[in-house]
Amino acid sequence: MGWRIGVDIGGTFIDFCALDTETLALHTLKVLTTPEDPGRELLDGLASLAERHGVDPRRVERFVHGTTVGINTVIQRKGARLAMITNAGFEDVIELGRLRMPEMYSLFCARPDPLIPRDRIFGLAGRMLADGREEAPVDLAALPGLVETLAGLAVEGVIVAFLHAHVAPDHENAVKAALAALAPGLFVFTSAEVWPVVREYERTTTAILNGYVHPRVAGYLGALETGLAGLGVPTRPLLTRSNGGLMSAAEGKRACVSMLLSGTASGVIGASWLARQAGVANVLTLDVGGTSADLALIVDGAVLFGTDETIGEFPLHIPSVSVSSIGVGGGSIGWIDGQGILRLGPESAGSSPGPACYGRGGTQPTLTDAMAICGYLGHAPMAYGQLDMDAAKARASLAPLATALGRGLEETAQAMVDIAVSELFVEVEKLVSRHGVDLRDFALMPFGGGGPMLGCLLARELDIGQVIAPRRPGVVSALGGLVAELKADFIRSLFVPCADVATTTVREALADLAAQGERWLREGQGFRGSAVSRVSADMRYAGQSFEIEVPLEASDLAAGNWPAIRSAFHARHLAVYDFDDPTGEVELVNLRLVAVGETPPLVIAAAAPSPGPAVPARTISVRIDGAPCEVPLYLRGGIEAGQTLRGPAVVAQEDTTLVIPPGFSGHVDGHLNIALGREVEADRV
Amino acid sequence: MFDPLTLQVLANHARAAAENMAVTLFRTAHSAFVKETQDFTVMLLDPRGRTFAVPMELGATWYPGLDKGRAIAMIDHYEPGDVAFTNDPYAGHVATHTPDTHLWKPIFHDGEIVAYAGGHIHNTDMGGAVPASLSRSLTEIHQEGIRFRPTKLLRRGVFDEQVLAFMSNNVRKPDLNIGDIKALVGALNTGERKVHAMLRKFGVDAFREGVRALLDHSEAQARALLAAMPDGTWEFADYADEDSDAGNPCRLKLTLTIRGDEAVLDFTGSDPQLASSLNVPSGGDPRHTMLLVGVYYVLYTLNPRLLLNTGLTRPFTCITPEGTVLNPVFPAAVGMRSLTCARLRSVIFGAFAQAIPERMPAAPAGNNCIVNVMTADDRRGRTVIAAVNPVVGGGGAMPHRDGTNGSGADAAYLKNTPIEITETETPVQVTRYGLMRDSGGAGRWRGGLATVLEFRVFAPDSRITARNRDRSRFRPWGTLGGGAAGPSDMVVNPGTADERRLGNIDVAVLQPGDVLHIRSAGGGGRGNPLAREPWRVARDVARGYVSEQAAGTLYGVVLVGTEVDEKATAALREAMAAEAGEGRRAFFDFGPERGEHEALWTDAAYAGLTAVLAGLPVHWRFFVKTELFRRMGRETRDLGAALALVRARYPQIPGSSTGPAPA
Repeated sequence: MGWRIGVDIGGTFIDFCALDTETLALHTLKVLTTPEDPGRELLDGLASLAERHGVDPRRVERFVHGTTVGINTVIQRKGARLAMITNAGFEDVIELGRLRMPEMYSLFCARPDPLIPRDRIFGLAGRMLADGREEAPVDLAALPGLVETLAGLAVEGVIVAFLHAHVAPDHENAVKAALAALAPGLFVFTSAEVWPVVREYERTTTAILNGYVHPRVAGYLGALETGLAGLGVPTRPLLTRSNGGLMSAAEGKRACVSMLLSGTASGVIGASWLARQAGVANVLTLDVGGTSADLALIVDGAVLFGTDETIGEFPLHIPSVSVSSIGVGGGSIGWIDGQGILRLGPESAGSSPGPACYGRGGTQPTLTDAMAICGYLGHAPMAYGQLDMDAAKARASLAPLATALGRGLEETAQAMVDIAVSELFVEVEKLVSRHGVDLRDFALMPFGGGGPMLGCLLARELDIGQVIAPRRPGVVSALGGLVAELKADFIRSLFVPCADVATTTVREALADLAAQGERWLREGQGFRGSAVSRVSADMRYAGQSFEIEVPLEASDLAAGNWPAIRSAFHARHLAVYDFDDPTGEVELVNLRLVAVGETPPLVIAAAAPSPGPAVPARTISVRIDGAPCEVPLYLRGGIEAGQTLRGPAVVAQEDTTLVIPPGFSGHVDGHLNIALGREVEADRV
Repeated sequence: MFDPLTLQVLANHARAAAENMAVTLFRTAHSAFVKETQDFTVMLLDPRGRTFAVPMELGATWYPGLDKGRAIAMIDHYEPGDVAFTNDPYAGHVATHTPDTHLWKPIFHDGEIVAYAGGHIHNTDMGGAVPASLSRSLTEIHQEGIRFRPTKLLRRGVFDEQVLAFMSNNVRKPDLNIGDIKALVGALNTGERKVHAMLRKFGVDAFREGVRALLDHSEAQARALLAAMPDGTWEFADYADEDSDAGNPCRLKLTLTIRGDEAVLDFTGSDPQLASSLNVPSGGDPRHTMLLVGVYYVLYTLNPRLLLNTGLTRPFTCITPEGTVLNPVFPAAVGMRSLTCARLRSVIFGAFAQAIPERMPAAPAGNNCIVNVMTADDRRGRTVIAAVNPVVGGGGAMPHRDGTNGSGADAAYLKNTPIEITETETPVQVTRYGLMRDSGGAGRWRGGLATVLEFRVFAPDSRITARNRDRSRFRPWGTLGGGAAGPSDMVVNPGTADERRLGNIDVAVLQPGDVLHIRSAGGGGRGNPLAREPWRVARDVARGYVSEQAAGTLYGVVLVGTEVDEKATAALREAMAAEAGEGRRAFFDFGPERGEHEALWTDAAYAGLTAVLAGLPVHWRFFVKTELFRRMGRETRDLGAALALVRARYPQIPGSSTGPAPA
C-alpha cells in the first residue's frame, strides 16, 4: 500500500489530503501556518498525518505541493534585487506598460512601482527586426563596463529582454553567455527562454516576475526536497502550477513564474474533479477565504484558462486557470459612509487579528461576526478545534454600526450578509458575461471556509438551480494536487496568414513544439506513461488587435489544411463574439502546445446509500433572510449518503458551516457531497 | 429615503447590470474604436432619462452624468422593443459630435416605462468631407456627415431597414457602423433583461424608489464634498494652442463660485464660437455632462467611493453664453471638440486647485494625442493605415506623490500598442519609445514625465496624423511654487541637418528614411522644488528622469557622482531662496510662453474682447477675433486701437460701438 499526499499552504492554514492508494480512503488535516518558519508546518503536518492516520513517509508514491511563497514574495516585495538589460531607447517599456490604468476616474491614479527601478535598467545598442533580421549587432563590448556597474549596484540577477527576441533570441543568448563568463555569480533569465511570446511588455514582465521570485522559491523548494528526503520520502516532490498541472519541484526552481498561482489553480482543479465525481458538467466555484473570494467557471467539465490574471499588482501573461478575485471574505469589515449608508469592505481584518468572534484580538465588525450574529457559527468545533467562537464579541463589534444606523443588531448583521452576496453577484455577472455562458445550466460549488455559508444565498441571487457542497470544502486545493497531471505549455509566435505560404513554417514550428513537449515530459519530469499533446493557436482577422485561442487538430496544421483551420477560427469567433466574417483574411499569431503526462483518473466508488431523512443533532435559533426561525442543525459527520435534507437548515462541520435557506432541498450523494436543488420561485417574494 | 441598510445591494445590482452591458458591447463590437480605444459608454437611465448606473471598468469616462431626457422626449410614443437613436449634436444635445451615436431603449413594466437602457458608440465614419468625419479645418456641421435627429431604429424589436439604408448609403465603413450598432442593441437588450431581474427581486415600487435614492445618494456625496470646501470665487483661464488653422490661441475662462454645498461654473469670457470644429455643443444645458467631466474627476479624486450618476451634477450650474466655444449655435462644426474638452477639464482643475489647494494635483499633460500612419507596405504591395501609440503625458504632481509618468490623470483610459505588433504589421521602425527627461514640472513633488515616440518610415509620402495635439505652446501649469511642465512637440529628423519642427501642426508627410519625433507635454510640478528631499532628486537623476543640470538649476541639488553633496546643496539652496527673494512664488507657474501672450492679451484686453464679441452677431465673432489678433502686437498693443483699425478696414461690421448685442 502507498500514499498520495497533497499539501496546500494558504494564509492561515496549511491543508493536507492523504489518499491511501489501495483503499482509496481520503484523510484530511488542517494545521495553522508558521509564517516565522516557513516549511516547518509542513513537516509538523506530516508527523501528524503519520500519527493520526498511519501515513508512512517511506510509502509516499506522490507528493504534490501548492505554495504561496512565490506570490507572497511579489505582494510583499521581498524578491531579488534585479537589473535589466534591454535595447537602448526602450528602457522605459516596463514602466509604461500598456498605459491604461485601473482607476480611470481618479486624478491620483498611479502604476505600481516596477520590480526593477529605472536606474537598474540599462540600454544596449543592437537591434533585431520584426522578421528576425539583425539590423545592428548587439554591443557586447559594453558588457565588461556594465558588469562593473552591476557589481556596484549589488544586484543578484539580471533579466535580458530585447525587442523581437521571440523570433530572434540571438542577442539575448549572446548577452547571457557573455554575462555567464563575466559575472558567474549572477543568475540570468532571458525573455525568450521564460515565455517566447510576441509583445515586449508582456514577455519582459513575465521574465522579471520569474527572476524576482527565483532565489526565494528555489531556496524554499530546496529546503522542501531536503526535508522530505530526511523523512525518507522516496519520491521527488511535485508542484502545482498556474496552468492547473504539475511539474517537478526541481523544475520549479527555474520556472518559478509558472507556479505563482499554484494554490488558486489547484483549487479549481480539485473542484472540477469533485464535479466530475458528482456528475456535474458546468460549475461555478466559489472559494471564500478570510480576505477575498475566488470565482471560477468550469464549462463542460473543463476549467477555463485566461492570460489576464494578476499577481499582486502585476499582470501575468502565461496560461493560467482563470480565477476572478474580489475583496469579500470572512474578514471584510462593515462601515457606514458619509451619507449614512451601510457598506462592506474592501478593508479586511484578514487572518490576524481576524473577526472579533475568533477572540484573537479583532474588534472590527466583520462579515464572519455578522454570520455569528445570524446564528450560523459555533455549533461545532471550528478549524479542527483550533479556534473558539465568542458570540458576545461578535455582538459587541457590530453594536456601534447598529447604533449609528438606528437598527437592530440582527437586522444590521443580515444587511451585511446581503451586501456581501450582492458584491459577489457583481463579480459573477461580469465573469459570466465575459465568457458568454448561461448560469441556468450551472451548479454552484462553494468551498473555502466561507463559501458554504454564502453559496445558497448567491445561487438564489444568480438564479442557479443547483448547489453542490463538497464533504471537505477546506482542502479542495490540496485535493487538486492529488488529481492533477504533469502539464506544460509551449508557445511560438509566428504571425503568418492562414494560407499555403505558411504551411512549412507552421509544420516546422509544430514539430519543434512537440519535441519540446516530449523532452519536457521524458527528460525533465522522467515521465514514462502515455503523453498527450493538445494544440491550439491564437488567431484573428487581419487588422484586429487581439486574438482568440482556437483549439486545432495537429494533423490539420501539419498538413496545411487551411480551410479546416480557418473554419475552426470562424466558428470560435462566432461563439465568442456573436459574429464572424467567413470571407475575412485570417492570421495565426501564436501556435500553442500543451504537453500532458496522463495520469489514470482517480475514481472513488460511491458509498452505498442509506435512504431516509438525515437526523438533526438538535434545533437551533437562527435568522435567515432576516426572519428568526428554529431550524435543524446537522453535524456533517453524522449524515450519510442517500439521506435527504430540506431548508431552512444549518450543517456544521469542523472547517465550515453550510447554510441552507428555505426553498432548497436535496440529499447526500454517494461521494458525500450535499447536492441541493432550488425549488424555483419558491423563494421569490 | 431608501433603506440605508440595503441601498448598497441595489447599487450593486445596478452596477452589475451596467458592467454586463459593457462586456456584451465590448465583446461583440466590430470596430477598433470600441475594441481598442474603448470609445463607448453604456448606462441605465431613469424614466426621465437621467443616468443612474454606469460601468467602472470598461468604456470612456465622459457620460456618468448624461441626461438623455431631451432626446428621449423628442419621440412621442414608445412601445416595448423600440430602440431610438441620434447622432445629431443639435437635436436634443445628447450626441456631441456626429460619430457618437447614442441609443436608448425603454424598459416597460405593466405597460409603463420604468427605466431606459442606453449607450453610445463612436462610429468609425459618418460620412462628410473627410474620412472619419473629423478634421479641425471643417467649419460647419454639414461637413461632418449625416445626422439623425432622435429617430426610432427598431420598432417592436425590428430594425427599420430604411434608416439603416440611409446610414449605409452615406458613410464610408457601413459594415463597421452597423456591426457596432447591433452590438450596442445587444447590450441594451442585456440591460433590459437585467432590469427586469431587478424588478423581480426588489419589486417595481422599491426599484423606482431605489433608483431615486441612488441619484439622491450621489447628489448627497457631491454636496458633502462641496460643503467641505471653503465658500468663495476663483477665476481661472487656460488656452488651447490654436483655435483653427488661423493659429490663434483659444481661451477658456471659468469663474467658479462655491457657496455652501453648491457651485456655479461661469464660463463667460471664453472665446467666441470658432470657425473650426473645436466647438463644444453643450446647448447651454447648465448641467451638460461634457461640461462637468472635469468635475467628476475632482469629486472622484476626493472620494474614490463616489457613486457615479446624474445625481452628481445637481449641485452644479454651468453658465455658457450662446455663440461661444462652449455653447456654439447651429451650424458650427464640433467634430474635434475632444481637444477643447481636454482644456475644459484643465480649466476646472485649475479653479478647484485654488479652492482646495491642499487636495488637488497640478495640471496633467492634457494632450491625448492619437497617432495614425498611412504608408505603403512595399513587401505586401498595399497601403496600410494603422494606429501607432497614443502619445500622452504624465499626470500632475499630487499632494502626496510625484505625477504618474507617461500617462495618468484624465488620460488613464488610453492604451498603447506593443512595438513588436506595430513593427510586424506596419512598415515603420520605432527607434525610441519612452519617457522624456526634464519634461515633468519641477516641484516638491515632480510632475509626471512626458512620453516620446520616434519612428522611421520607409515609403515615400507617408502621411502621419497626430490628432488632438496641444500644449506645444501653453504648458501644463505647476501649482504652489511648482514649475510648469515641458511642452509637446513634433519634429522631423531631430538632430540632423534637415530637422523640421512642426510645433502644433497635427499632420506630417514623411519621405523614405525620415524619422518623426513626437513628444507630449509633461505634468505640472507642485510645491517649491527647493523643498524636495535631495535624495529624491538624486534618485531622479540616477533614473534619468531629471538631468544633473536641472537638479542644480531647478532643485538646487549638487551631486558628486550619484551622491548628494549635502553641504554644497544647502549652500546652493540658500542662495537660490535668497535670489527668489521676499516675493512669494505665484500660485501658478504657466511657463514663459503664456506670460508673453498675457503681457499683450491682458485680463483687461480679454474682458474688452469678450464684450466686443458678445455685442456682435454670432457669425461675425470669430472673424472679428481673428482680425483683432492679426493686429494686436503687430500694429498696436491696445485693444481699442486694434478694434478701430479692424472697423476701419471692415466698415461692414454691424454696430458702431461695443453696445448691446442684437437679440
